[in-house]
Amino acid sequence: MRNILLLCLLYLGATNLFAQDDLMAMLEKEDAKQTTYTQATFKASRLINGQTVETIAKKHLNFWISHRFGAINSGFIDNFLGLDEARIRLGLEYAITDQLLVGAGRSTIEKTYDTYVKYKALRQSNKMPVTVTAYGSIASNTMKTGYTMESGTVMRFNNNLQRQTFMGQLLIARKFSDKLSLQVMPTVFHTNLAESVYFDNNQAAMGFGGRYKLSNRLSVSAEYYYTLVDQASYETSSGQKYPYHNSLAIGFDIETGGHVFQLHVTNSRGMIEKHFIGQTIGTWQNGDLFYGFNMARTFSFEPKIKK
Amino acid sequence: MRYFLLIGLCLLGWSANAQLFTTQTGEISFYSKTPMEDIDAVNKQVGSIINSANNEVAVQMRVTNFIFPNKLMQEHFNENYLETDKYPAATFKGKIKEPVDLKIAGTYTVTAAGTATIHGVSRPVELRGTIVSTGKVLNLTCTFDIRLDEYKIDIPKIVFSKIAEVIKVKGSIQYNIR
Repeated sequence: MRNILLLCLLYLGATNLFAQDDLMAMLEKEDAKQTTYTQATFKASRLINGQTVETIAKKHLNFWISHRFGAINSGFIDNFLGLDEARIRLGLEYAITDQLLVGAGRSTIEKTYDTYVKYKALRQSNKMPVTVTAYGSIASNTMKTGYTMESGTVMRFNNNLQRQTFMGQLLIARKFSDKLSLQVMPTVFHTNLAESVYFDNNQAAMGFGGRYKLSNRLSVSAEYYYTLVDQASYETSSGQKYPYHNSLAIGFDIETGGHVFQLHVTNSRGMIEKHFIGQTIGTWQNGDLFYGFNMARTFSFEPKIKK
Repeated sequence: MRYFLLIGLCLLGWSANAQLFTTQTGEISFYSKTPMEDIDAVNKQVGSIINSANNEVAVQMRVTNFIFPNKLMQEHFNENYLETDKYPAATFKGKIKEPVDLKIAGTYTVTAAGTATIHGVSRPVELRGTIVSTGKVLNLTCTFDIRLDEYKIDIPKIVFSKIAEVIKVKGSIQYNIR
């Protein structure tokens, strides 16, 4: 018994002696206990049209200015390849904590106000393979009742409740290397008033996106939303071709000090989920492409560090 | 007799242990002043050990633990300048040159000569600082300059005026005897 005790003591003493030989090794052992979180899976909280897993830091405010010009195939003389006109979304988002942000925006398209909440639930780290963010938004259409949609449908609202669309999304992303990040975005939304009886009020879509860093300040990004709409049943019941298509966007992210610029080409003109997932009229095959940009300016309301 | 030897060894082990001053919550901050913008950041999770038996010093910190008031700046600092994915840690390993006994209370002006590793680049450095000892607690304060080009930290031309080429670093580390 005494022997064992002594051996234990000796062992403790010896490990201490050994550890003392290399102070650095001791510090590294302490350091290994910390969780290492993956930083900057994406450059911004927005990938192209849709969102990324990123939220912004606490007490930071993002001002988003997004433009989509006219279709590139709308003619040079008539429309200067689309640059004569633009659809705009202006948005603000503010972070309550490092994980939680709230935002609001207004789109030219259907004079829509959108408000949203985004919460980063899991962070990729040496113990967690992915980052998971939940995103929910309400879009309110404020067009005059009886307007004609791009698809040709005339929309009539009987009350304000019919103007609302509710959207929920899970964003799951992994930064595979310092260059490559990929994301999947299962999405559902509910429109209180569908375009016609042939449309379902509920829609689901699966989004895929990613970015690849070309340099420290330039990355290429892509985003695709596959809508899970039963188009065959729409066509048999309505006798018409389904008017909407899947959304594909490809672009570049350029960052400078406090800005992120995103330049891209997409077949969707809308900048909120209801529009680009649910109401994309254009197709890549026909060249109905919209050149556009997003610009984010970040403001910090965090006071200077106390010395 | 054998037991005495063993006990002796153990005691040696314990006494050696008592000569270490350690912390995991040291503070290192840096400051860069330019006409455009002042940049400051602080890391409050600096690990450090001083062995008062031979006056060896080791400092290690995670570069990602530097907190900036502007988080975008913090992200750039990690992603573009310090490349923390590749080089997560900044370290210093050295020895206090003066023959001081830190276990005796007093105020000591010290010089530590050793190697600093930042951004994967190791360089010999000499740091000057002050240690106030109570015998059980050490308070180390020091200031030093880091030239960015010496550690191969590239600042792009467009943001050049935003970031000073020489960064002032301030350390304030409190050690407890272990």
